[in-house]
Amino acid sequence: MSMHWDRFRASTVRLGGNGSASLRGTSFGDGGLRHTSSQTVRLGRVQPQHPSHRTIFCNDREANQPVRFKGNSVSTTKYNIFTFLPKGLFEQFRRVANLYFLMISILSTTPISPVHPITNVVPLSLVLLVSLVKEAFEDWKRLQNDMSINNTPVDVLQDQKWETVPWKKLQVGDIVKVKHDAFFPADLLFLASTNPDGVCYIETSNLDGETNLKIRKALERTWDYLLPEKASELKGEIQCEQPNNSLYTFTGNLIIDKQTIPLSPNQLLLRGCSLRNTEYIVGAIIFTGHETKVMMNSMNVPSKRSTLERKLDKLILALFGGLFFMCLVGAIGSGIFINRKYFYLGLSGHVEDQFNPSNRFVVTILTMFTLITLYSTIIPISLYVSIEMIKFIQCAQFINKDLHMYHAESNTPALARTSNLNEELGQVEYIFSDKTGTLTRNLMEFFKCSIGGEMYGTGITEIERGIAQRNGMKIDETTSATAVQEKGFNFDDPRLMRGAWRNEHDPEICKEFFRCLAVCHTVLPEGDASSDKITYQAASPDEAALVTAAKNFGFFFYRRTPTSIMVREANIEKMGSVQDVTYEILNVLEFNSTRKRQSVVCRYPNGRLVLYCKGADTVIYERLVDGNNDIKKLTREHLEQFGSSGLRTLCLAYRELTTEIYEKWNEKFIQAKSSLRDREKKLDEVAELIEKDLILIGCTAIEDKLQDGVPLCIETLSRAGIKLWVLTGDKMETAINIAYACNLINNAMKQFIVSSETDPIREAEDRGDPVEIARVIKDSVKQYLERYLEEAQQFLRSPYGTKLALVIDGKCLMYALDPALRVSLLKLSLNCSSVVCCRVSPLQKAQVTSLVKKGARKITLSIGDGANDVSMIQAAHVGVGISGLEGMQAVMASDFAIAQFRFLTDLLLVHGRWSYLRLCKVITYFFYKNLTFTLTQFWFTFQTGFSGQRYYDDWFQSLYNVIFTALPVIIVGLFDKDVSASISKRYPELYKAGIRNTFFTWKVVAIWAFFSIYQSLIIYYFTVAASPNGHNSSGKVFGLWDVSTMSFTCIVVTVNLRLLMACNSITRWHHVSVWGSILAWFLFIFIYSGIMTPRDRQENEYFVIYVLMSTFYFYLSLWLIPVVALLGDFLYQGVQRFMFPYDYEIVQEIHRDDPEESRRQLLEVGHHLSPDEARSYAIARLPRETSKHTGFAFDSPGFESFFASQAGVFAPHKPWDVIRRASIKSKHRTAKS
Amino acid sequence: MEMEGASSSGSGGAAQPTLLPSRRSKVFYRFTQQNLPACKPALTPTLVITIFLLAGITFVPVGIICLRASESVEEHVLRYDTECIPEDYRSNRVAYIKDDSISKKCTLNIKLRNQMKAPIYVYYELDNYYQNHRRYVKSRSDKQLLYGLQYKDISSCKPVESSNRLPVVPCGLIAWSLFNDTFTFDVKARKLNVNRKNISWKSDRDHKFGNDVYPFNFQNDTLIGGGKLNQSIPLSEQEDLIVWMRVAALPNFRKLYGVIEEDLDADELLTIHLSNNYNTYSFGGKKKLVLTTSNWLGGKNNFLGLSYIATGCCSILVAIIFALIHVKFPRPHRDASYLHWNRKSSATSR
Repeated sequence: MSMHWDRFRASTVRLGGNGSASLRGTSFGDGGLRHTSSQTVRLGRVQPQHPSHRTIFCNDREANQPVRFKGNSVSTTKYNIFTFLPKGLFEQFRRVANLYFLMISILSTTPISPVHPITNVVPLSLVLLVSLVKEAFEDWKRLQNDMSINNTPVDVLQDQKWETVPWKKLQVGDIVKVKHDAFFPADLLFLASTNPDGVCYIETSNLDGETNLKIRKALERTWDYLLPEKASELKGEIQCEQPNNSLYTFTGNLIIDKQTIPLSPNQLLLRGCSLRNTEYIVGAIIFTGHETKVMMNSMNVPSKRSTLERKLDKLILALFGGLFFMCLVGAIGSGIFINRKYFYLGLSGHVEDQFNPSNRFVVTILTMFTLITLYSTIIPISLYVSIEMIKFIQCAQFINKDLHMYHAESNTPALARTSNLNEELGQVEYIFSDKTGTLTRNLMEFFKCSIGGEMYGTGITEIERGIAQRNGMKIDETTSATAVQEKGFNFDDPRLMRGAWRNEHDPEICKEFFRCLAVCHTVLPEGDASSDKITYQAASPDEAALVTAAKNFGFFFYRRTPTSIMVREANIEKMGSVQDVTYEILNVLEFNSTRKRQSVVCRYPNGRLVLYCKGADTVIYERLVDGNNDIKKLTREHLEQFGSSGLRTLCLAYRELTTEIYEKWNEKFIQAKSSLRDREKKLDEVAELIEKDLILIGCTAIEDKLQDGVPLCIETLSRAGIKLWVLTGDKMETAINIAYACNLINNAMKQFIVSSETDPIREAEDRGDPVEIARVIKDSVKQYLERYLEEAQQFLRSPYGTKLALVIDGKCLMYALDPALRVSLLKLSLNCSSVVCCRVSPLQKAQVTSLVKKGARKITLSIGDGANDVSMIQAAHVGVGISGLEGMQAVMASDFAIAQFRFLTDLLLVHGRWSYLRLCKVITYFFYKNLTFTLTQFWFTFQTGFSGQRYYDDWFQSLYNVIFTALPVIIVGLFDKDVSASISKRYPELYKAGIRNTFFTWKVVAIWAFFSIYQSLIIYYFTVAASPNGHNSSGKVFGLWDVSTMSFTCIVVTVNLRLLMACNSITRWHHVSVWGSILAWFLFIFIYSGIMTPRDRQENEYFVIYVLMSTFYFYLSLWLIPVVALLGDFLYQGVQRFMFPYDYEIVQEIHRDDPEESRRQLLEVGHHLSPDEARSYAIARLPRETSKHTGFAFDSPGFESFFASQAGVFAPHKPWDVIRRASIKSKHRTAKS
Repeated sequence: MEMEGASSSGSGGAAQPTLLPSRRSKVFYRFTQQNLPACKPALTPTLVITIFLLAGITFVPVGIICLRASESVEEHVLRYDTECIPEDYRSNRVAYIKDDSISKKCTLNIKLRNQMKAPIYVYYELDNYYQNHRRYVKSRSDKQLLYGLQYKDISSCKPVESSNRLPVVPCGLIAWSLFNDTFTFDVKARKLNVNRKNISWKSDRDHKFGNDVYPFNFQNDTLIGGGKLNQSIPLSEQEDLIVWMRVAALPNFRKLYGVIEEDLDADELLTIHLSNNYNTYSFGGKKKLVLTTSNWLGGKNNFLGLSYIATGCCSILVAIIFALIHVKFPRPHRDASYLHWNRKSSATSR
């Protein structure tokens, strides 16, 4: 099912939102409603379409006909048969290099040109051909995608029957039936469902990445239109807003039998979502094809160019500069040289302008153009197309097929969606990661607990395992017979399981613990009341995990009524006994972020009144009754232990209540509940009154299950010099907790916390004046930043090298991103080795990313899995999506998709690094080989009276780039590797070379340029100097073309061998291509100079090679010149390696004698601890005094909305949805004022 | 036994077709996993020293052989453009050369140092003569040279494509400026025979110049560039022209004039009668006459030999320096402490 969706090319969703679009939506909402309510009389069947909304007649194609709604077929192709050539060529000529060569080609048809047009036309057309074939191939694949989507079958109502038609045949107003697990073919108005109360469940993961089910509820009026006979009776009219891209808004009216019923997003089923837990639904099509919300949200992925390529542009520019300089020198020379005294040039009488000595200025100008065409080879025309080919193969064959990045469980290989950015992967310095779904599995498991000062649970967390591994301890994973593993529960301790808790020294407190778990929550059970089949619907997965835990301990919560909770208790009286107990729930004191706790007052069947409370350790400990200090102390120790191993903790407590106390309190509670003003605040205050004198039971530890190998991957990345920032919408506690679990933050680090949860800010918020709030927050953020910056600098100066970590929440971030504070934020955060941003909106994620991207000019990578990460993924240099899960939105926006976070190691350290090295090599080599070639031509110019005479035959020049030197460099771009993949991962530090961009600096280019000049001088002057005397025993002498062929032979040999010298590993293919290229040259020249056809231009070259090869001059030069030319480079390489070796060269040396291992085996090689690391681990294992991190975290995202949607009320899904609307409104207001 | 053999061969036959694709897929697997077998050349100091030594050892002997070969060549170079001007024209050489009424005959003597073995090659050498100038190089028509008047499109021959409205054969500046000094040699008052045949490359004679193309309307204009051609001899036999039209690569070039096919003894006095027709005075070019013997390497040119020797010596020198450095300040090979990050940490710990 998801596979099918993969093919759907909804590239991106702009969640940040097009402000105007959603504004239009909301403003229409009011107007539309008013409009329809006043409209009671319908004038005619066909109404003119109102510009701001559309009118749709359900199940009536004829009536909809005049409006010409767009069809449901979708096309994402770039070209069609007719536009392909013009449009494709246009795209090609937007590249400067191609345009340049087009101009040169045109120039070379004029008499100014010293070369035949063929010299430039052949390479250009070859380059264009390759590029166009690639374009056509890609577009063809898009077309096939579109076709398969457009032809997906769906049932549509025709003549009281369901007919199966392909998606593309659907029209607005059609009634369709969508079956279980199918995708909605268009945006539908939900009419009826097989579920009893007109409810259906949908999964929106393609839109927003959320995998939990959403509930949609049809209008009661339309529930009956389920069967075809009945549905065909529907004759309604829908008035709704025009298509827009706002996913969470929809307004409109359904008019049936002159009755107007308002529509809300709750009745809208969007294309791209799928139906779950429902046999089938019936809906009317509102928006089709490109007008669906998901398609309106899709836009072309902004094509990203890699930094290396942008630097390459500079290099090309420098080459243009060099070209200009060379031409200028030559042109001035020609102006000076030209003179009538050279009578043999025929300059007396009428002479064309270019050689007319009486106007030397014109001569200079025209010669300038001549030389530009002559030296055009300095710009490597095939460079771009070669790079493209290399990158394409790297993506398609290496990245996509790497078994190390293949996730077998979900059958997902890595996927490179663009081939532009391979080498960018080798230079990433900052990674911005989403938390849920990327670092964690979004799977909460009850993992450990502490009851009455006794710790239970034998599991080992990932982080503990990591530490143990690094210390060389081996941990045996043995699962005992009592271990139970199910969703939400991964706990094993024989002392508690199967009723064994009754033998513990204090079974009573255990009982309280379990009851607290079973009773104090807001979970809804669903399904059969048997322990296997029940599923818990909870606002937060933590709660579900706790209730599941209670079930496994024998306190099975199976039913809930508004006033009671029913628990099937086992093993209470004696082993094996089961009894159903109903607890009357008197009050629920809900969880919120200020209270950080949740309480339930319940009455036992025997009348006992108890308040159960669970919450953060800080708030619970404040409210504990005096005494029992042992348990408190032990529990706190346990909390800290849990916290530092990355577990999420909650404290449990209870309080026995007497009836009087309760009744007295309850009065106040009811009063507060019914108050109209400040209800929330009053409720909180009342809760305070009863949540005191609590008795501590213990605490729970829930593992927010990390994805496989995350801590190890993060550690490897950090050794590679990559800094990881976690940007999450979660609460601060959760985020910090995960940072601990991932080893991003540890207790040895100095933490800077910028939080908006402080008293002054809260006070300001209570007062409610937005200007005042903004001022207060801004001030406090500013203070924070200034203070922390100062501290950070102190820490950096201190000799201990303490690592720093910054934690900031979204509200503060909003102000910290203000231009005034941005600089200090950036300064501070760049000094920190890890940064955690919590409570951030998708927009802020993007802002933070571009802060580092633009502000610090570092290469950034964003990784995420959900729609809320889309903006961040697009903002970063490289966007990586987590694939293999249901949600595809992030993947669609990303440049690379991998199945697991840990594959980043391979993607960056192996593929990225190699790509970077290879591309650098390819680019510098291209630069070198063209410069060398052109320079020999340049030196020749000096000896031809600056006339611009070509040194080489036209065909030599045109084939130099496309045949004689083309293939080897591509082979190097594909196969060169300095060290093997496993060693790359074993020495992550090698990656730092990419971050520093060691291999493509101006210095590197200058060195290549230097040797290029050296070689061209050697090649030109040596061939020329050795040539003048008759070199054959018969005394005949060489002409121009003999010498130039000699030079060209030397160049081809030298340049190809130089490449071989630059290789780190030489495979058979290197040999084949290098020697093949040299051989190709000889073959070519043998044929070219051997035959003479009537229509050729090679009279000059006729027989030249045979003449040459009949002399010793040829062999002696061919041996001498390349060797002399290459010895310079060789010396440089030798000295450089000896004196200033690169890191990879040392690693090569260390592992030189390693057997040619298969990569798999070396994966197991353990880690060596550097002294640095050893010290930091030693610190990590020191007794923890500074840390107060106890690991409280409790997720209740959309807590209110969860219940609201249960009740069928649509509530905004996301905090940032609200934020966005608020910001739009305020913007709107300021714009007006 | 037979049964076994049959079964094994049968299985072998069955295995073979499966073996082939599996081998191919294995190669493909290694390709996609980027695990192709490769040799990893590492430039160890030993390797560097070895290669430099090797280069030195092979180059020096080759250089010595080349140099000796070059030295064994007897060569006499005689600059005659200055000598062959009468005293009163020394200050106005151009007027002298342009004045047809003055006899251009000139006689010079060379005393041979050593014996010269036949064949002795006679070259003329021009200096500051840009045969490789673009205007000059392209001013010819290869088609016309081969097909003669049948070939009409001779626009490439500008500015000497036609005179008196008739096409010129051979057209173009190159042919027009044909070198026309002539040389004869006397030794002991006996005229030496100079063979002017077979001085051009055979491929040029056979394939580039037509054997039924005769000069036509050549040098008939008011401006006459250089030598004239015998109209009754086909181009393919006008070897002076063929030699001249193989344009030289450099502004300083030699062209073969003829071959003396008899030995000349040492200390012999060679008298050269030359007619100094060709104008190099206007652009200050030198004219030289060269008499040389030849061997397997060709004429006298020390360049190859010297550069082989120089390269070889440099290589050996570099090898020695490198070896010294290597011994004196060795960089411990395979030492992880040289790794960038390790260096850094040691620096901070200090």
